[in-house]
Amino acid sequence: MSAAPFVELRHISKYFAKVIANHDVSMQIRKGEVLALLGENGAGKSTIMKVLYGLYRAEEGQILVDGQAQAIHSPKDAMALGIAMIQQHFALVQAHTVTENIILGLVRGRYDIRRYDRIVAELAAKHGFAIEPTATVGDLPVGVQQKVEILKALYQNAQLLIMDEPTAVLTPQESDLLMDFVKQNTRAGRAVVFITHKLREVMEVADHIVVMRGGRVVGDLRKAETNELELSRLMVGKEIHDRTYVEDVVHDSRPVGLELQNVSMRDPKEDVFRIQNVTFQVRQGEILGIAGVSGNGQSALCDAITGYRPVTAGRILLNGQNITDRSVRERIRLGLGYVPSDRQRYGLILSMQLTENMFLKRSFENTWVRRGLIDARKLAAYTTEQIHAYDVRATGPDATARSLSGGNQQKVVLAREVDMGSQVIVFDQPTRGLDLGATDHIHRTILNEKKKGKAIVLISAELSEIFGLSDRIAVIYKGEIVGIYRNRDLNTEKIGLLMAGYTLEGGAAYEQQD
Amino acid sequence: MSSKTRDLLLTNVLAVAAGLTASGLLLLFLGANPLVTMGTLFGSLFRDSYTFADIFVKATPLMFTALAFGLPFQANLYNIGAQGQFYIGSITAVGLSLLLQGRMPGLLALAIVALVSFLLGGLWGGMIGWLKARFNANEFLVSMMSTYVALNLMNYLLRTFLMESKAEYPQTNPLAQAVWLPIVVPGTRLHVGFILGVLACVSVWVLLYKTALGFRIRAVGSNKDAAELAGINYKRLYVVTFFIAGALAALGGFTEVNGVQHMLVQGFNPGVGAAGIGIAILANGNPLGMIFAAILFGALNVGGTIMGQLSGIPSSINELMLGFVMVFVILAYYVREKLEDRREKARLKKAASL
Amino acid sequence: MIELLARTVTMGTPLLYGSLSEVYAERSGVMNTAIEGIFLMGAWAGFVAAYQSGGNLAIGLLAAMLAGLLTAALYGWICIYLKQHQIVTGTAINILALGICAFFQRVIFGVPVTPLIVQPLQPIALPLLSEIPVIGPILFNQNILTYALFLLVPLANFVLFKASLGLSIRSIGENPEAGDVAGIRVDRLRFLTILFAGVMCGVGGAFYSIGYLGMFTITIIGGRGWIAFAICFLGNWKPLGVLAGTLVFGFAEAVAILMQSRGAGLFPNELFIALPYILTIVLTVSRRSFNVPATLGVPYRKEG
Repeated sequence: MSAAPFVELRHISKYFAKVIANHDVSMQIRKGEVLALLGENGAGKSTIMKVLYGLYRAEEGQILVDGQAQAIHSPKDAMALGIAMIQQHFALVQAHTVTENIILGLVRGRYDIRRYDRIVAELAAKHGFAIEPTATVGDLPVGVQQKVEILKALYQNAQLLIMDEPTAVLTPQESDLLMDFVKQNTRAGRAVVFITHKLREVMEVADHIVVMRGGRVVGDLRKAETNELELSRLMVGKEIHDRTYVEDVVHDSRPVGLELQNVSMRDPKEDVFRIQNVTFQVRQGEILGIAGVSGNGQSALCDAITGYRPVTAGRILLNGQNITDRSVRERIRLGLGYVPSDRQRYGLILSMQLTENMFLKRSFENTWVRRGLIDARKLAAYTTEQIHAYDVRATGPDATARSLSGGNQQKVVLAREVDMGSQVIVFDQPTRGLDLGATDHIHRTILNEKKKGKAIVLISAELSEIFGLSDRIAVIYKGEIVGIYRNRDLNTEKIGLLMAGYTLEGGAAYEQQD
Repeated sequence: MSSKTRDLLLTNVLAVAAGLTASGLLLLFLGANPLVTMGTLFGSLFRDSYTFADIFVKATPLMFTALAFGLPFQANLYNIGAQGQFYIGSITAVGLSLLLQGRMPGLLALAIVALVSFLLGGLWGGMIGWLKARFNANEFLVSMMSTYVALNLMNYLLRTFLMESKAEYPQTNPLAQAVWLPIVVPGTRLHVGFILGVLACVSVWVLLYKTALGFRIRAVGSNKDAAELAGINYKRLYVVTFFIAGALAALGGFTEVNGVQHMLVQGFNPGVGAAGIGIAILANGNPLGMIFAAILFGALNVGGTIMGQLSGIPSSINELMLGFVMVFVILAYYVREKLEDRREKARLKKAASL
Repeated sequence: MIELLARTVTMGTPLLYGSLSEVYAERSGVMNTAIEGIFLMGAWAGFVAAYQSGGNLAIGLLAAMLAGLLTAALYGWICIYLKQHQIVTGTAINILALGICAFFQRVIFGVPVTPLIVQPLQPIALPLLSEIPVIGPILFNQNILTYALFLLVPLANFVLFKASLGLSIRSIGENPEAGDVAGIRVDRLRFLTILFAGVMCGVGGAFYSIGYLGMFTITIIGGRGWIAFAICFLGNWKPLGVLAGTLVFGFAEAVAILMQSRGAGLFPNELFIALPYILTIVLTVSRRSFNVPATLGVPYRKEG
């Protein structure tokens, strides 16, 4: 561990159009050690690193590299100083090959792609990555795309590797492998900044921990001198416990709310099955959690259930009624609610007001339509009611959806879908990117809806959420359900194996038969 | 008035002024004094009731073509074919009028002609929407090309089936007075078509902002994915929207033929489609705003013609004014964005320091 | 027939200048919706400069390139740097171009008594090559603008796919953030690409006035800038694809001219005039976009 810091941030402040992201943030990053930047969603961790990486320009403060003040105005400047960042949304050109992505901006004039293919192959082998240089990035699984990003940084001789929530797209086992790589990297004399909101990861991989909350640094400690409890207190300002599951024995006598029988969906363009032979039942008043690394068919599953895309085989039944060929609109009418994972793209119309967003799924009914005209006053009154009921921070029912924070936007979607979904509600990554307060609120809402007797599907990559809420847990891998178990019959290790495509040996698994 | 509305009006007024100034400056090249010429333009508008009323006469077709671009625009669709749809309406109007005139009371004939023009224009436009819905065809290109097809169709018909009895020029016989649109203000050319135009604008406004269908159109335009997931059939809306748009542009053609020209000649109103786009943008997509923007352009049009008569200024001054105003209106958009950004940042800094 | 094919190559030339440049523009993420206006400016500027210089076509071409460059610069500035809507801006510029050409035509020439003519580009028969049976008269008896394309097309293809400039352009059209992170100045590269498009489209427009007809009318372009625009789309954003596309449309136009001069009898003239446009519609409908650059039409806004 070197004495002088490699990178030092002094009193950085950054404002955005809507929010104060960083206020007076200072920290030191040393070579040969892992700095974990810990904080809940929205704490400002990504922002400060983006400032360091040159994506954002700070309003105040200084950056020093090797003791020298530096002006970093672009990622190119950062890379020249040896600083690389792997963001949550990869900066990769999906349509191009691995090599084309790695050499982008680094070659001049004419280039011989095959020569660079060879160089990339050697580099990948050196670091133990199994990557085909000529593969098209868009065809690679997300975990491998991440490796391409890392390779890109190593190709440019990065001395500091900043990783923003890297395990969000990995199975537990892949996460372990990543953390091994991180430790190796620092042993080789480089620095790593690991941005995360997961305490377990911090305790496992970090040497040095900086905790952020509300855009400020609230803790700067060595891992050896602290523990999870203290960290969680710093992160949230109070102690948090993962939600513990209260077992609910679901009687087989309760009617089945949602059922999928051998549902398959083929992708017309790629000629692969997005999901295959998916079979499960969800009873009324039950929560079925579907765990899996994102990209394993969860969106296809949602597309099938909502009717957004047609299935190529199988049946879907809602309260015993065959809805396989029913349109999206009909399924909504039959009481299907859906909280999509990408709320800004699929759940809300950001440029429209909250009233209009509430109206979105009811425009065909006459709840708020009289003689063809919209009853604006009634709609506004309803919206205001919901805003209060769900504690949405907004200036009023006529506020645009865009003006709300992520957590509040999600609450609006929730309010609408809970109302629309009188029979079945599908939640897809409902708390992704939200802070703990909003997360807790959403969990309570989900449990409330369960109590009302609705059949609930909870798709999530966050294992604590799955274990905290689900009665039964299904694991999805490469478009297939690899097992359905009672909550108490699974643990992190087992579910990790399932998520990676392994099957559990007999005896340890219990599959729900109907 | 909210700061946003104030910004909108202010910047657009400035944009119009800037556009006119730029056009005026170009007049220097002709050796004309811009101030005097522009002054003549504005003064001449009020010289008599006939000229003043002509502003609204010129504004009439513009309202229709503006709606024809503006309505699909709300659905994130680009209808560049309003000119062609206008021609289809004109062809239908003149052909059917010539057929029906004298065989039935004028007003009845007019009603039928209006309806049929509306429908045929709707079909012509709706086809574009259908091609987009069914084949995901690029409606920008298809609508653009359809104008040229309509133009050639019109030229062909004017040379053959619709040609005047004298067979001298590619134009139709004049329409009998019975099928002329009634004049609203005696002593002028202001005809019922203007009222139709205003009604059309108001109707589209009500449609877009007060009805469920209009809401769905706007939803699809703002976020097609979320709308689809909400059970909205965007493909059907594409067809409906383009149908209405084509029908409105065609109705504009009807008003021009039966209200002003009373016949059909080759190459009439060649800029009405493009001007419609400019007006829709100036009005920020708001159908009520289009009424006023159309009147403004009607005024510029009339003034431009008078300038041509009095001072020998070429008619291209109209395109210049339209072009410059449009460019400045676009710059005004940019200015407003920056103002809003600055306001937000200031609001935030204030909140932070509390 | 040979003459028809030769004429195909001739009529395809301006379309190829336009669509080739459109491929580059759209690959970088920007649609050149001012294409029709730039063609017109090129045609007009080329004609005026040539006429005023006593028939010097080289000066005409330079003027056309300059006019195209300036028009494209205005378009690029508004769309790329000011981040405004590409279709709206393009329409505005097309209208403005119409006004400027018509107005200044009047300013400079007044109302001419006799039509103004310039001796257009003459085909130059390449020695030896033009004597090859069949392809000789088709390919090697053309004017220099066409010959220039013999070099430009393979060059454009090479640069786009085998040179770092092409890699950068393609990347920023697919994912400008990736390019940004790699140190590419996205807006600047897009702007330069649009300027290139301006020069090329200026030449394409000039082809009609000083390269073929020898005169200028305000309707001289008549939507063919848009056909070049469509060809980029139909050619799947590849230089070789648009080459094929321009030949198809060049053929359609050549047929149309032939039929008109012959007096087709059975089919009306207007049908042939409308042929390229109908063809565009049919092809647009049947082609599902495969290679659309992912961020086409979307201005690149950086956060922070």
